[in-house]
Amino acid sequence: MFLSLPEEVYNTMRWKLPWFFKHGKSQDLWLDTELVVVDLELTGLDAAEHEVVSVAWVMIKRGKIVLAESRYMLNRSVQHLSQSPVFHGIDETQLEQGHDIEVIMSELAKALEGRVLVCHNILLDWSFIKKAFLEMGIVTRPTQMLDTLKIEKSRLLRQHQAVIQDQLRLPVCRARYGLPNYQNHNALSDALATAELLLAQVNHFDSEKHIKLSALL
Amino acid sequence: MTQTGMTAELQDVLNFVSKQSPLNELPSASAHYFVNHSEMVYLTAHNQADALQGEEKYLYLVRTGIFDLVDVSGEVITRLSTGDYFGYPSLLTGEEIQSHLEVQSPGLILMLPQISFDFLRREYKVFEQHFVKAHKKRLLSSHYQERSKGWSERKISKLMTKSAVVIEPSATIVEAAKVMQVEGVSSVMITENERLKGVVTDRDLRNRVLASELNPEMPVSSIMTPEPKFIFENNRVFSALHLMLKHNIHHLPVLNEERVPLGMVTSTDLLRLQNSDPVQLIGQLYKASSTQELKLLAKEIPVLLRSFSNTVEDISFVGTLLSGLTDALMSRLTELFAKQHGKAPCSFSWICFGSQAREEQTLDSDQDNGLIFCNDIKPAERAYFASLGEFVTSHLVECGIRACPGNIMASNEHCRGTVDEWTARFHNWMTAPTPQAMLNCKIFFDRRYICGDQSLYQDLNVQLGEIGQQELFFAAMATDISTNSVPIGLFQQFKLQRSKDKSKYLDLKTRGVAIINDLVRIYALKCGISKANTQARLKALKDHMQLSKRDIYNLQDCWRFLTQLRLRSQIEQHQLPANCINPETLSSMERHQLKEAFHLIKQAQQACVFKFARGSL
Repeated sequence: MFLSLPEEVYNTMRWKLPWFFKHGKSQDLWLDTELVVVDLELTGLDAAEHEVVSVAWVMIKRGKIVLAESRYMLNRSVQHLSQSPVFHGIDETQLEQGHDIEVIMSELAKALEGRVLVCHNILLDWSFIKKAFLEMGIVTRPTQMLDTLKIEKSRLLRQHQAVIQDQLRLPVCRARYGLPNYQNHNALSDALATAELLLAQVNHFDSEKHIKLSALL
Repeated sequence: MTQTGMTAELQDVLNFVSKQSPLNELPSASAHYFVNHSEMVYLTAHNQADALQGEEKYLYLVRTGIFDLVDVSGEVITRLSTGDYFGYPSLLTGEEIQSHLEVQSPGLILMLPQISFDFLRREYKVFEQHFVKAHKKRLLSSHYQERSKGWSERKISKLMTKSAVVIEPSATIVEAAKVMQVEGVSSVMITENERLKGVVTDRDLRNRVLASELNPEMPVSSIMTPEPKFIFENNRVFSALHLMLKHNIHHLPVLNEERVPLGMVTSTDLLRLQNSDPVQLIGQLYKASSTQELKLLAKEIPVLLRSFSNTVEDISFVGTLLSGLTDALMSRLTELFAKQHGKAPCSFSWICFGSQAREEQTLDSDQDNGLIFCNDIKPAERAYFASLGEFVTSHLVECGIRACPGNIMASNEHCRGTVDEWTARFHNWMTAPTPQAMLNCKIFFDRRYICGDQSLYQDLNVQLGEIGQQELFFAAMATDISTNSVPIGLFQQFKLQRSKDKSKYLDLKTRGVAIINDLVRIYALKCGISKANTQARLKALKDHMQLSKRDIYNLQDCWRFLTQLRLRSQIEQHQLPANCINPETLSSMERHQLKEAFHLIKQAQQACVFKFARGSL
C-alpha cells in the first residue's frame, strides 16, 4: 500500500516527477491560468485494485470559482463497492442513475485540456485518473498539477512548524484560513472545499496579481 | 440530496444562500439560480480592488470574513460579515461603485453578475423590493448626519440661528429695548464679563415697566429675571423643550461649555417641531387636569416608544425619553395632589434614584423615588407628605410604572426625610458598609432632582460631599462590584444561563450594563461628580485623572453596545427573561463584539479592585 504513505511519496517525488512538471507553463501568472479542482470517491486507496465511485470537479477562472461549471458524476459501472459506502455513503441504487466510467473520464479529459489539475493529495487521485486515461486511450494531460496539501505543508514548514500528517487533512487546513465547515461530504463538496482552500492559500502568499504558477508548485 | 449529471448542486453553498434574506422567502428555485450563476472569490486586502473594479458589475454576498465598506470620504458606511450583501447600489443605479472595502479578515465572497441579478429582479418582486429598500436605507444612513437625524435628537446649536444679543446690567431699560428693536428679537441677555446674569423679554417690558409705571431710565438689571434657566449648546433639542414646558418659559439662553452665552432658543423656534409625538405627549402630561387623563395619556407611552425606537439612531435616547415622561408624570401628579389636598405645609423636593435617575429607564423598570423636605418641618406636617408619597406612587403604578419590589418609593417612610435625615442615612451606609448598605448605595447614589424646591436637593448634595472620602467605603464598594462577574469563561466562551424551559441565554443587564454602571458610579463618587447618567458621568470623568481617556472610550462603547442589544431584546422578545439574549441569534460579528465588550468590562473590574480595594479580595 504504497499510496497510503504520502509522507514517503513526497520524499521520493523529485525523481519521479512526470514530464509535465518540467515542461509546463509554470511561468504563467496565476490569474491567467484556468484550473480544474478534482476530487474522487474511491472504493479503496490502490489504483491497481480499487475503483472510482464518483468524480467531481470545480472550475477556477481568473481567480474565481465558477460555480455553474461544477460537475459531479457517479460511476454506474463500479464492480465492487465492498466496504466503501461506509466512507462515501453512495449505494448501488444511487449509482444506477450515474454514468459509465468512459463518459465520465472523457468529460474530465475535456475539462482538463489546457488547464491545471488541482487536488488535495494529488498523487492518490492522479494515480486513478492516469490509470483510467491509460485504459481508455485518452491522451489528455493537464498542463500542470497543483496539490493543496503540498502547498499547505511547505507553508507550515516555512513557518518552522513541525508538520504532523493530521494537520494536513482538508478540514484542518481550511480551519487555518477561517473557512467554514462543510456539512455534506461528497466528491463535489470536497472539490469545492479544495478550490476554496486554494484561493485562500494563493491570497495568503501575496497580492495574487503577481503570483506565478511556479510559486505554488 | 445531491443531483448528479450536468447541473451539479453545491449543497452547502445552496444551503447557505437559501437561508439569506430575501431568498429565504422565495421559492427554492431562486436560490438554485443564484448558486448556479455565481462565482466565488477569496477577498483579501491585496485583491479587493481588482475584484470590485472589473468591467462587469456584480451583487456580492459575504460567505465568510469581515469587511468594512468605506465611502469616498473615508467614512465607514457599514461593516459586512456573513450574510451581508454589497454592490447592489451600483447594480440598481448603473453608476460606478463609489465605495471600497477595507478587509478586516479575508474571506469568501459570492458574486452574482448583473445579468443574473436583473433576472431575479424581474422574476421575483420580493427580491427587487429587498434591494431597493436596502439601497434607500443606505442612502439615508450615509447622509444621516445631515438629514435623517430625528429632530429631537438634534443638538441645540443646529437650531440656534442668531448670535447672542447681550447688554450690560448697568445699561438702562430704554437702551435694552432699543437693542431688541435693532436686532429684531423678543428677548435680551444681560451679561457681565461674558457671564449670564439674567434675561429680559418683551413681556418683562410690558409687565415690569409699562404696567408698573417704572422709570425706563432705571438699570435693566432691576427688571431682569435673575439666574435664568439655560441650556448648553450640545444638549438635545428635546431637553430644551422639556425645560421650557416644565417651567413654562418661552426663552432659553444657550451657553457653551465655558458658560459663555451663544444665543437664545425661543418657543417659536421650536413651534414647528411641536407636532411630533414625544413632545406633544410631554406637553399633554404637564397639562393633564385629572389622574384619569394622565392614565389615558400614559397608555400611549409603550406605543410611542416602540415606534420611536425604530427611528432613533442613538438608542440611549429612548431611556432619556422614558425618564422624561416619568418625570412629567410625577410632577403633574404632585400638582394634582396639591389641588385636591392643599399646598404643601413646607418646602419639599422630589428625587428619583436608580434607572430613572440614570435616564436609562426601560418599559420594565420599576419606580425608585423619594421625598426631601426642609429641616424645620413640624412632626404634624409629615402626614401630608406620607399621603403625597402614597398618592403619586400608587398612581404611577396605574400609569404603568411598576412598584419597586425593594420598596424604594416615597410611600415608604424610609424614603422620606429632611435633608439632615437623608444625610444621616447616607452616612450610615458609607461608614458601615454591610451588604445591604452596599445595595442601598448602588441605588441611592444614582439620584436626580425631579421637581419641587431644588435648593433642598442641592443642600443634600453639599452635605453628602462633606461626609468625605471613606477609604473603607470605596474598598467595600469595589469588592462588591467584583463579585458580579461577566459571563465569559476561561477560553473566551459565553457562560450561558438556563431558563426553566432549557433555553440558554445571557443576561445583558445584571452581568453587563449594571457592572459598567457600578464601575462608573464608584469613579464618579471618587471625583465628586454629581451627575447620575452613566454616559454623562463618563464624559465628566474625562476631566479627572482617575480613568484614562482610552478606558473611558472603551466603557462608553461597551455601554452603548450592550444597551443597544438589551433594548433590541426588549423589542423583539424571544421568550427569554427580560434583558436577556440568546447569543446564537446574533451575527458572528455581534458575538465577537459582545465577547470583546465583556472582556473589557472584566479588565475594568480588575483595575477597579486594584485601585480601591488594593487587591484585598
